[in-house]
Amino acid sequence: MATQKPDRFDDVNWGELADNRRINLTINTKLALVTIVPIVLAALFDWQFVDGRETLTEELGSLAGEELGPVSTLLETVGVLGFFKGFGLSFDPTPVDYLFVITLLLFVFYIILVLWQNPRMTKYYWKEFRRNRPAVVSLVWLGILAVVGLIGPFFYPKPEQNVLHGHQPPAFWEIDNANAATCLGEVQGGMCQGTWEYPLGTTRAGRDVLGFIIHGATISLQIAFIVTFLVVVLGVSFGTISAYAGGWVDELMMRFTDIVLSFPTLILFLLVTYIYGSSLGLFIIIFAAFGWGGTARYVRSKALSVSEEEFIKATRISGASVRRTVARHVMPNTASSIITQITLLTPGFLIFEAQLAFLQLGADVPSWGQLIATGETDIEFAPWIVLAPGIVLFLTILAFNFVGDAILDALNPEAEAEADRAEADA
Amino acid sequence: MGLSRYVLGRVAWAGIVSLVIVTATFLLLSFAPNPNIQEAATQAALEGNDPAEAVERERELRGLDEPLYVRYVDFLNGVYTFDWGWSNSRAQPVTEALLESLYYTAQYSVPWTILTVLLGPLVGIYSAANMYNWRDHAATGFSFAGYAMPNFFFAIVISLVFAVWLDLIPVTYKTGVDVFSLQNLRQLAAPIFVLVTGSIAGTMRVARNESAEYINSDFMKTAKAKGVSPLRAYLYHVTRPTMVPLSTTLVGQLLALFLGASLLIEVIFGIPGIGKTTFDAIIAQDTNLVLGATLVFTFIAVVGNLLEDLVFTILDPRISFDDR
Repeated sequence: MATQKPDRFDDVNWGELADNRRINLTINTKLALVTIVPIVLAALFDWQFVDGRETLTEELGSLAGEELGPVSTLLETVGVLGFFKGFGLSFDPTPVDYLFVITLLLFVFYIILVLWQNPRMTKYYWKEFRRNRPAVVSLVWLGILAVVGLIGPFFYPKPEQNVLHGHQPPAFWEIDNANAATCLGEVQGGMCQGTWEYPLGTTRAGRDVLGFIIHGATISLQIAFIVTFLVVVLGVSFGTISAYAGGWVDELMMRFTDIVLSFPTLILFLLVTYIYGSSLGLFIIIFAAFGWGGTARYVRSKALSVSEEEFIKATRISGASVRRTVARHVMPNTASSIITQITLLTPGFLIFEAQLAFLQLGADVPSWGQLIATGETDIEFAPWIVLAPGIVLFLTILAFNFVGDAILDALNPEAEAEADRAEADA
Repeated sequence: MGLSRYVLGRVAWAGIVSLVIVTATFLLLSFAPNPNIQEAATQAALEGNDPAEAVERERELRGLDEPLYVRYVDFLNGVYTFDWGWSNSRAQPVTEALLESLYYTAQYSVPWTILTVLLGPLVGIYSAANMYNWRDHAATGFSFAGYAMPNFFFAIVISLVFAVWLDLIPVTYKTGVDVFSLQNLRQLAAPIFVLVTGSIAGTMRVARNESAEYINSDFMKTAKAKGVSPLRAYLYHVTRPTMVPLSTTLVGQLLALFLGASLLIEVIFGIPGIGKTTFDAIIAQDTNLVLGATLVFTFIAVVGNLLEDLVFTILDPRISFDDR
């Protein structure tokens, strides 16, 4: 009679299971560790043993390639050289580049791969997302920008000064020949025609606008990824800890957030630039250091409302530790609102960078804002220098907003039900 | 008892926040190399004197040889007695320079704030009343476009089109104009327009989403059933509860724009307001003026946040002060 009994609840060896849990990292974490640890080591090696590297310009960097042997050898031996090549980074990565690659890898393993691992949910979200057509177009635009920013700089040369080629109009555009340094295209009736050599024209100094935009996409991408990553890490941990600690710890942490939020960030940045000079790294640090306040507040309120839910009580009653409750139940349930908030936060950083670059206070990198600043004086006869990067920036920010809106709808079934009701009413 | 105690608490907190920020600014500046001292050293070296001695003299002259805490107390005294020092680049006391700039800043920021506060909720509620038809989509599209358009880029385009190509507005800002004159309106129209389009978008979006909740609520059904006119129903029954959550975002958004965009708007349109003064002071390395401007911005941010919380509690009688 008694042949095979199903496993009984009280037969399960919980101790064994608990032990297993500790060793069993998810494949995502394993992959992330395998790829990120070497990069961190490379960065440390770079920082410790190869000095004075940052002062080298791009040209010098390639000349000094032999000298910088240790870096590439090290990268090659640990097998991440391909990454740097693939992501459009030179052999001479700056600290920002290291951070960028790390955040990119985290993004791939914890967002893209997770979507891949859960095809059913991905399909569902995609179905919801697709309802918003502008958002789909926006996503395509952001995708193009990401690809251009990642691999573009490798295929498209950095815009170089060439005074003879100053103020070339874009293709299918013409300007008074008196304004172009030497017209590369045909001159018809005193008007200089644009050529395909510079599809989007050139600046006063003859720098290629298209090249500027492509290299600017990389800068924007780096800012978007790194700052957002840092802000999310800071904001989420601060917010959840505050919500979970409660009492005076919570009060203290939130008052601290108040102070951070009250700092006039732009003025502070101007001050720091004025005292210490500016670089992309400094920029990112300041943005992250003063940008997390809103996220922390938001996450805290979300975490508070989630921890009131019944299932959290159930988790607690079944003996889960606080750490586990927070990491496995509270955080995932606040994730959807955090993602929505990020899509609205990220464009803010891009605008901020562009503003500072426009004031000539940004880092010395080819960013879109800098291009707008370059073209402002010549706007009367050469409006493309300002318009091209301005429109790209505008479209990017618009795209972020549309995508954010669509994600909000996709992740929030209540809002969707409301929309359906309204459509039914109409 | 609740309200006054709450207000007192908030004011005290605002004081603490500004103190912390002022201290941070002070520390930042005191650990930075002072350009005046370097200048003195260079000067002495050029004249064949001992640079070290000149540095010492300059430090003494500026009171920098005192220990840090003495200077800090002095600095705090100066801050709270409005003795903010002398601006080298403008050759006038810092407070005077800042007041002068605030006069120009107020000329465009007061109409801008009023327009945003009035138009934002109105368009938002209008959009919610017409939810999901073309009017709503048009308003939403406008809101997204206004929000996504970087203010400084928009300002450049506007001045290109209207000042350079169409010649409708003056290219340069004139300072000697009467505040309430047509000429002043013409030269301030562009900056106000740019700022309003930027700030109205977010406000309107929040107003739309918040008021959507109330439009189908029971009390609106009751109001309609009793024959209340749609205008009164929307203005009185929907606007009031919408303003409560809106007030928390409104001030924050206005402040963020004020602290960020106004500086660029002033630089682009050449308005000699507080933003441009700050920017010029930084370029000219005028430490006292930079510090003073930072204080003004901090003060505005702190007072703005304070007002936000007060408005929130006054608008919503359900919030009890004792809980906060």
